[in-house]
Order: sequence, then C-alpha cells, then structure tokens
Amino acid sequence: MIRMLLRVLGPEYARTLRRTVILMTITATAEGLSYALLVPVLRALLGDTPADAGPWLVAFGAAVAGYAVLRYVSDLSGMRVGTTMLRGMYHRLGEHLARLPIGWYGAGRVGEVSVMAGQGLLRAMSIMAHLLAPFIAALVTPLTIVVVMLAFDWRLGLAALAAAPVVAVIQIRTARSTAAADAEGHERDKEATGRVVEFLQAQPVLRAGGRSGERFELLDDSLRELRRASRRTVLATLPGAVGLTLTVQAVFTVVLALGAYLALGGSIGAAEVLTILVLAARCADPLLSLSDIGGKLRGARSELDRLDTVLRAEPLPEPREPVRPVRHDLEFASVTFRHGGRTVIDDLSLSVPQGQRLAVVGPSGAGKSTLLQLLARFHDVDAGAVRVGGVDVRAVSTEVLMAQIAIVFQDVYLFDGTIEENVRLGRPGASEAEVRAAATAARLEEVIGRLPGGWAADVGEGGALLSGGERQRVSIARALLKDAPVVLLDEVTSALDPVNEAAVHDGIERLMAGRTVVMVAHRMRTVRRADRVVFLDGGRIVEEGGHDELLRRGGRYAGFWEISASAMRTG
Amino acid sequence: MRPSQPATATGPVTATGPITTTDSAIGSATATATGAAATAGSPAEQGLAGLLRPYAWSFAGVVILQVIGAVAGLAPLLAVVELGRALLAPGPIDHGHVWSVVIAGAAGLFVRLVFTAASAGTGHVLDGRVQLAFRRRLAARLGRVPIGWFSRRRTGELAKVVGQDVSAVHPFIAHAPGELVSAFVVPLVSLVYLFTVDWRLTLITLIPVVLAVALVPLLMLPARTREQEEFDAAMGRIAGSVVEFVQGIAVVKAFGGSGRAHRAFLSAADDFVATFSRWVRGVSAVAAGMQLALSPPFVLLVVLAGGAALITTGGMAPADLLPFPLLGLGLTAPVAALGHGFDDMQAARRAVGRIRDVLAVRSLPEPAHPVAPRGHRVELRGVRFGYRADHEVLRGIDLVLEPGTVTAVVGPSGSGKSTLVRLLPRFFDPSHGSVTMGGVDLREIGSRDLYRTVSFVFQDVRLLRASVADNIALAVPYADRDDVIRAARLANVHDRILELPRGYETVIGEEAGLSGGEAQRISIARALLADTPVLVLDEATAFADPQTEQAVRRALATLEGDRTVLVIAHRLETVADADTVVVLENGEIVERGGPAELLAGNGRFAAFWRSHRSALADEAGTETGAGTETGAGTETGTETETETETETETDDGVSRGGEPR
Ligand SMILES: Nc1ncnc2c1ncn2[C@@H]1O[C@H](COP(=O)(O)OP(=O)(O)OP(=O)(O)O)[C@@H](O)[C@H]1O
Ligand SMILES: Nc1ncnc2c1ncn2[C@@H]1O[C@H](COP(=O)(O)OP(=O)(O)OP(=O)(O)O)[C@@H](O)[C@H]1O
Ligand SMILES: [Mg+2]
Ligand SMILES: [Mg+2]
Repeated sequence: MIRMLLRVLGPEYARTLRRTVILMTITATAEGLSYALLVPVLRALLGDTPADAGPWLVAFGAAVAGYAVLRYVSDLSGMRVGTTMLRGMYHRLGEHLARLPIGWYGAGRVGEVSVMAGQGLLRAMSIMAHLLAPFIAALVTPLTIVVVMLAFDWRLGLAALAAAPVVAVIQIRTARSTAAADAEGHERDKEATGRVVEFLQAQPVLRAGGRSGERFELLDDSLRELRRASRRTVLATLPGAVGLTLTVQAVFTVVLALGAYLALGGSIGAAEVLTILVLAARCADPLLSLSDIGGKLRGARSELDRLDTVLRAEPLPEPREPVRPVRHDLEFASVTFRHGGRTVIDDLSLSVPQGQRLAVVGPSGAGKSTLLQLLARFHDVDAGAVRVGGVDVRAVSTEVLMAQIAIVFQDVYLFDGTIEENVRLGRPGASEAEVRAAATAARLEEVIGRLPGGWAADVGEGGALLSGGERQRVSIARALLKDAPVVLLDEVTSALDPVNEAAVHDGIERLMAGRTVVMVAHRMRTVRRADRVVFLDGGRIVEEGGHDELLRRGGRYAGFWEISASAMRTG
Repeated sequence: MRPSQPATATGPVTATGPITTTDSAIGSATATATGAAATAGSPAEQGLAGLLRPYAWSFAGVVILQVIGAVAGLAPLLAVVELGRALLAPGPIDHGHVWSVVIAGAAGLFVRLVFTAASAGTGHVLDGRVQLAFRRRLAARLGRVPIGWFSRRRTGELAKVVGQDVSAVHPFIAHAPGELVSAFVVPLVSLVYLFTVDWRLTLITLIPVVLAVALVPLLMLPARTREQEEFDAAMGRIAGSVVEFVQGIAVVKAFGGSGRAHRAFLSAADDFVATFSRWVRGVSAVAAGMQLALSPPFVLLVVLAGGAALITTGGMAPADLLPFPLLGLGLTAPVAALGHGFDDMQAARRAVGRIRDVLAVRSLPEPAHPVAPRGHRVELRGVRFGYRADHEVLRGIDLVLEPGTVTAVVGPSGSGKSTLVRLLPRFFDPSHGSVTMGGVDLREIGSRDLYRTVSFVFQDVRLLRASVADNIALAVPYADRDDVIRAARLANVHDRILELPRGYETVIGEEAGLSGGEAQRISIARALLADTPVLVLDEATAFADPQTEQAVRRALATLEGDRTVLVIAHRLETVADADTVVVLENGEIVERGGPAELLAGNGRFAAFWRSHRSALADEAGTETGAGTETGAGTETGTETETETETETETDDGVSRGGEPR
C-alpha cells in the first residue's frame, strides 16, 4: 500500500511517508508497552500491599506522558502528510488529465473523474490522515499486549495469541471477498454520477421530450443499481465483521474461563488473573475496530488503485528529443486513422504550403473535423504521418505544438467565467489593444456592447448563458488572440447570420494574413475565399484544386453546391 | 456516492461504543471532509423528516437492537468484576458461582454479537433505501425546477448534492442512531453501577470526561465554522470545475499551455487544501488534547491513581477498584461520540442544508385545473421577456403560427430567436403578454399535454449516453423499431447508423462517436419521430452539408397533416420555402411576410439576402472573369454552370447520402 502511495505521489514523498509510518508504529508499540506497567500497579493494588503501587504508578504516568507526546506528533504528522498528499494528488491528477489523449475522454469519464476528484482523493488521503494510524495501532497494540501477557503468564498469553492467526486469516479473506463488491460499488457510483450530470445537462431535451414527469429510467436504474451494490457490499462485509467479532469474543471468553480455572486451581494469583483480564479487554477493543478500519482502509486503497490506473493511462507519448518546427506548412503523408475499427481517414495525402488557406469541404461525417484534430495531435494516426513545418507532430512536444496552433472547434465550449476571461485564455499576456482587435475581428464587440455586463458578462458553464452565435464569436476571438502561425477553423460561422458571418470572415482574413489556415465549411461563400479546396468524402480526397477550377470541372464539388444554388433559385 | 464500508459490531468489549483511536477527533476531522457525516438531533434534518417518516419503525428497530447488544456487552466486564470479587473475597472460593459468572459473561458476548450484527445489517440496508429515496426525490425535483435555474448553477455542484451530499447522510442513518443512543445508555448504566460501588472513585473517573467536554467549545469557534463552510464551498467548486474540465477537454488541450485552462480545477483544489489545512491546524491541538484526555492510557492512569489513593488512605476495598478500569473507559464514550459526531454533525447539517435548498426550489407552477388545448394554433401576444429583470431580450412579440404553415424566424445572432422558441415548452414564462396554444394560455395547459403537442430540435444538440434507438425514441419511449428507422431515414442518418458497430443498439459515446452533423441529424430524427402537431427547429441543420440540408427540408415538406412548423435558420436557402418569414432584431419583429415578397422589398430580409447573393456574385464574377456583372446575371450563370452536371452528381449523392427508402 505504501508502495502504491509512493507511486501515486511520486518519490519525493518517500522519506516523509516512511518516517510517519515508523512513528505510528512506535506510538502503537508504546501504548502496548505502557500497559505492561499496569501489571505491577494492579498486582499491588489488588494484592496485599497497595502502597507498593506508588512508584509503578509514577512510572506508568511517565509512560503515558511519553505516549501522549508520540501520539500528538504522529497524529499531526499524519495530518500534515495527508494534506500535502492531497495537494500533490490533485496536481498530479490535474496535470495528467490535461495530457491524456482526447480518445480517453469517453462519455463515462465525467462520472469517473468527478467521483475521483470529489470523494476519491479525500478517501485516498484519509489513509495517511486518519486510517493508517488506527490501523497500525489496532494491530500493533494488541500484539504488544499479548507479548506482555506471554511474559507474564505463558498459558494465558498463548490462549490470547491463538486469536492472531485467525484474525489474520479473516482479514485476508474479507479483503478478498469484499474486493469484488467494492469494485462494483465504485463502478455503480461513477455510473450514477455520470448519469446525474447527464440528467442535469439534458434537461431541455428531456423536458421537451415530455420525460420530466416520469422517472428518467437511465438515471433511476443507475440509482437503483447503486443501492443494490451498496447492499451487496454490506453482505460481503458482514461475514468478516461477524467472524472477527466472534473470534475476538471467543478468545476473550477462553481467557476468562482459563483464568478462572487457573485461579481456582491456585496456580496463579487472583490479582494476576484479574490484571491479565484487564489487559485482555484492552486487547480486544482495538482488534474489534479492525473490521471497520480495515474496511475503510481497503476502500481508500482501491481509490488509490483507481487513481493509479488513471495516472498510468498513457498520455500521447512525448518525443524523447523534441524538435521545434521552424516553418508552418502542413502535410498529411498517406495518413490512415481509425475510430474503433472504422476507417475515418483513409490513406490521405495532402499538403498546405506555409501561409496558404485550405478549405475542406465534404458531406457530414466525411472526416473533416478529424483531419483538424489530427493536425493538433488530439489523436495519433494509425499509419502515415502528419507534419507541421516538415516535422512529424509526434516529434514535437505538446507544449510547442499547441503554441503553433489556434483552433476554433465545431462544438464550442466556454468555461464558466466572464467573456473577457474566456477570450484571454487565448493568450493571457495579451495587451488590451490586442484583445480589442481580436474582439473586433470576431464581431464580438457588438455582443459586448449589447450585453448588460459587457466584457464582464458571465458566459455560464459551457457558454450556456450566451446565444449560439455569441458563443461562437467568443471562441473565434479566443483563437484569434492566440496569434499562432497555424489556424484551424471548423465550421466557425455555422451559428452566425449572413451579415455577421461575412463580417467575421473579413475579420479572420485580416488577422490571419500570412498564416497557414485550414478551414472546414459547409457554405460556399466561406469556401471561395480559400486558396485551395479539397473535397473530402469517406476519409479520402475526392477532388482538389481552386474553387473556380473545381466548379468548372463540374464534379462532386460543383454538385455539392448545386443544391444550395437551386434552393435559392426556387426561393 | 457510495456509503463507506459498513462497520459491524465496532464497539469494543467494553461495549460502550468506539473510543478507540478510530474515532479520534482528529480522525473525524477528515471524516468530515470525506463527506462521511453523521448527525442526530440536529435541527437540520427536520426538513427531511417527512422523507424519513416512513422509515421510523425501521429506525427504532435498529436502535433497539443496537442498545440491547451494547448493554449485553457489559456482561463480560461485569463477569470479570464478579470473578474478581469471588477470587479476592476472603475464605473459600465458591466454584459454582465462578463458573456461572464465566458463562454469563460468555452469554452476554453472544447476545451482543447477534444483536449488533443484526442492527448493523438492518441499518445499512435501511441506509440504502433512504439514500435511494433522497436521490429520487432530488431527481424528481430537479426535473421540475425552472430551466433558467440551471443556467446559473454548475452541473458538477448540483451533481454533488445528489451524490456526495446524500452519501454524507449515510453514517447518520446507518450508524449514528444506534451508536449514539448506546453511547449514552451504556455509560449511564455503567455510571449507575459504578456509583453503587464507590461514588468517590466514580467522580475521579469522570475527570477525563470533564476535561474533554471543556475542550468542546473550542471546536465550535466561529473561525472553525467559517473554515468548514469555506472548504465545503471549495469542494463544490472542485466538483463544478471537474465537469468543465472533462467536457471542455478539447479546449483545455488546445489552450491549456502551462495549465491555463484547467487552472479553475487546480485553484479550486488548492483552495480546498489550503482551507482544509488551516482548519486542521486550528482544530488539531484541541482535538489532540481531547484525544489525550479520552485515550485509554490516560483514563487508566487517572482511575488507578485515584484508586491507589482511595485504597491506601480511604479504605476502599481492592475488589471495588476492579470495575473502574474496566467500565470506566466506557464513560468517555458519549464525549468521544460528541467530539466525533460534532464536526460530522456540522458537515451533515450543511449537506442536508444543500439538499434542502434543492428540494425547496419552486418548480414551474403547474396549472391547478389543466385545460386541454383546442387545436394547435400558436399565438404570441405582446410577449416580453428577459433572463434578467434589467435586460429585456424579447420586447413585445406578436406572432401567430397557423396550423399547416411553416414560419421562419431569421435575424442577427443574439436577437432573441432561441429565446422565443424557449417560451413554447415553457422553459420560461413571459414577463408580459401571453403565449397560447389552441386558444389556451400555456400556463393553463398541463405539461404532459404541452409536450405531446410540441417537439423541438434545439440549437445545442444533446445526445444521451444510450443506444441510438433510445436516443431517437427519447420522446416516445415505446416506439417500435420501424418507426425509429423511418424517422432516421427521414433525417438522412439511417445509413450512418447501420455502419455503427451494433447499428441501432450502439451506445453513443461509449461504443462510437458521431460527427457534429451526424449528431444533429439524430436529434432531427428524434423530433420527427415524436410526430407532434407543432415542430420547432432551431438551426437544426447548421452543421449539415447541402445534401443533408435538402433531405431534411424535403422530409419536413412531406410531413402530412396540418403541422405547425417553426424554423430558425441562418441559411436563406433553408427559409426560402417557408410560408411566412419573420425578421427578428433586438427582440422585436421588424419585418414579416412571404419570402418572395420580402425579398422583392427593400427591408432587412432583402438586405440579408443581398449579402448572400453578393457572395455568390463575387464568386461567379471571378469565375467568369467579369467582375462587373450584376448580381442577377451571375446567379444565373452559376446555375447553368452547375446544372449540366447535376444528373451524375445527384445519382452519386443518392447512392451515398442515403435518400429515404
Ligand atoms: N469517437 C468516435 N468514435 C467512432 N467514430 C467516430 C468518433 N468520432 C467521429 N467518428 C466518426 O468519424 C467520422 C468522421 O467524423 P468527423 O467529425 O471528422 O466528420 P466531419 O466531416 O467533421 O462531419 P460533420 O460535417 O458532420 O462535422 C464520422 O463518420 C463519425 O461518425
Ligand atoms: N440562459 C440565458 N441567460 C441569460 N441570457 C441569455 C440566456 N440565453 C440567451 N441569453 C441572451 O439573450 C439574448 C438572446 O439570445 P438567443 O439565444 O435568443 O439569441 P438567438 O437569436 O438565438 O441568437 P443565435 O442566432 O446566436 O443563436 C442574447 O444576448 C443572449 O446573450
Ligand atoms: Mg465536423
Ligand atoms: Mg439561437
């Protein structure tokens, strides 16, 4: 477990961690040993010479004081390590999540990551902060007491010691039998969390679908499963807990009976027997708490396991010797890419000279967005290579690559915060004038002038407080501000009216002069501004050339626009 | 969301509840944060009393079982005491008595085992039921609160209420009632017993308890309470930012150089850890003090020192000392429970408070006497609306959507088109004026009737993590497969669905992803399947290629009957065959009429059209190399240019695009 902790935390915590664990063990031993002094004290008090107890009591007092200091230090140290650990884990998780490939982020991840960042890390942290110390105490203190008992009367000591192997076996078996229930519980938990998030976010759709009155089965099922899992966990834990209690109590009874027998037989003094029984009671307490702490510890540990699994998920491999591209032309060399076995980009070759504008056109699902994602290395290709400035994107460090590229996504996502914060995300160091210029080019100024909050208007989670077109313009301004040599635009004006659309494209053109641009568009008036056009279908380039040239050729590309033209004619 | 591991029979042999290190105040400090909060008797749970009432008997059962078990647990200790008396008594030892004492002790242990196990088992099962009830109740409430309420809240934080906060009630249901009651009953019994043995030593035994109690107020300092509230808030922010982090991951990556984009997450985490450590620092000295006062070695030290003094000078019988080290430890249980339960109590109170806040949100009022709409003519009269009181988005809209007609709403981005549409499903009620359907104000129509009449394709496509078929059949849960397929065909997405790994059974988001346009078409299919008399499409084809767009348009045209259709679009080709076009600008209707008629005029719509046409003109101009041609001329040029090739192209498009049937 400690090894796991270290792996999750990183080796820099090794020393503190080890020190804390040792401290905890010493504290537990000290507690057990201090009880040894009870023996002479009780013997004296229960025996014929109560006055002899004095010096022993003083010694016991000193031992208790020593224990108190140890305990205080070890508790605080546990807490301190716990909080440091928590911070460390949050940061590692955050950094790692940001580096994981987009492909990792399936639909179920919201639930998983939410659970992990919520209770998960806290529970993992609680190992150090408040589970390990009691656990160690619950094991070590009774053992120490048993040793004391052994030294004192071997028969009673042995009887007590008999509990040890049984307790160990029970602990191990419980761990095994609960592991499955535990894992399932977690599975259900993350499923339910994911469903709750979905339920909340899909409210408009659900209500309009008339599904608000009745229970939403997907959610309700997951909640019911959650309960079923928790019931199963109870059932899985109960035998262990009962077994442990039974063992400890049986042993206590045996010690009690044996003590009585020995005392009646006269082979041991009454005071001794009674002292041992007091010790045995002290021994039983922590042992009984084992099933509880053990369970919690196992829970925390599996949390740690899961964190470890996430941390071990491979981020896109970073190059060992990163190359920094100096040019910014783009190239696809026989690229093939698959999504779950389905070929989305099929042996595609394409190049965009530096400073040129390429438009990608094609039916929905042709692979246009995927093409842009490959350029930004959101996924790695299955065959061939994607190059920026002649350098394979896999040979460029993520940081550098991302600095080269500004993207506007097809589905806009804004972070909860003000418009200004969202735009500035493009380049936090940008000057006021630069932010203004990006906003003007993206026609965002109109929005800022209109909304009550202006620049400080809240966009809401995901941008929910803005209209579709406003959101899109914020994301365009964000990308324009970034001032990167390569610009990828994915249907960036799909939510804009013609007037704004034209204006935004003018703005983009102005700010994008000299940059390499790849834009995906479904509207001719956008496309015709490009230097070159490729027509994509089924992940292959079907036609390629200048807009006019392609129109003249009268192939797929020309046909593509025919429909909109004819629609206009009839209108 | 998951309850922690059940704790069975955690009480020590002293049977007086947990005083072991597990429940140390410091330990519980973190337990608070883990959301494992327990409480009893706090005023906060009153709000949920109604929810708990059905379980009252079960709760009572759990408590009774636990108390019996705990009291029975005193038996072995009393057995030791009795054994001591028998052994230490002068004169011959009564063997029979000794053995019956031993047997009584063993029997006590057995009873304790059975009852505590039963109590713990029932407690946890009960816990599961209550949590499920809470969550269902929350979900039901959240399914009815006004939509606008959500937009100001973070999804993650709300999800935390349903998840973590409900879980925070776990110990309260599963552990606290029994444990707390026995933590008071058992010491009380012991106390009475100890007083009968020796009142002086009993008082001495209480010293650690008094010490610990004296420290309790220090845990309640306002600073501590504030810190707890702060770290709760920070936890909420973590929950919120996690959802954004995951859902906005593409942006995080693209703009996340040196952790900028996920700063929200990290800073929320840092805040949390900082407040948390501040709080820990604040309480840890006090907690450690309490800790020490209640720790077995210290209690034993006090008892034995007192005992020694009384035996040597006060004439107490040595045999009378014995119950004190055994039972005396148990006296500290209530305080330990108090100290332990204290911050749990606080945390649970706050969690319950959050749950209650959600349950207290007023849902959009349902009509007391729902009226069924007569027909489905939709009429907006003098409608005014703003998301905020100080900023009107719609300023007096008068609009009639006649059955059997298609009305198109166009206008600049942000003019209020989507807002207008959101009034129809009553996501919001207008602040002035009224929206009526079939002559009945929407506020008087039951929500069921309303949703059965109107279906929507929203601007923001939202698919569920469910099979394609279920996604399409969202509004018609028991639709047959043929109908689903027909709708998918109409939306031009059937062929793509067949290519998915498991066709209509493929779970979206898990087994396959979809492109923007594909997702949009699924949501169109969803609306088509609902087959309601009123259909609203808010930029439903924004991501669609021209072929798809045309296919969808055709599908709409073939819908038989007198459907009322409202279309919002930025593409003029989409609105070209509408019956009426309404131009919305800045929340007002500035123009309306037939598209051809408006186009011929010189208003806003014509201006829009012009901008579009001029784009074509430019393009055609460069093509023919004659930039001076008029708009009309070039338009025709384009047509003829492409028309010749249309035959082959259309064929190709049909075979690929999946024309219906
Ligand atoms: N996560 C995924 N898993 C499986 N298939 C996917 C995934 N994401 C996309 N696809 C598939 O890959 C193909 C290409 O998708 P892409 O998003 O590149 O299309 P597109 O050309 O941008 O279409 P649109 O114009 O509709 O946005 C589509 O058929 C889509 O269904
Ligand atoms: N939930 C909301 N809370 C507050 N303001 C909102 C909300 N939704 C939209 N708004 C604001 O109301 C105004 C109208 O928005 P609406 O979505 O109706 O515009 P729209 O005409 O649909 O624009 P678009 O064509 O860009 O989708 C915008 O200024 C927008 O910022
Ligand atoms: Mg796309
Ligand atoms: Mg809109």
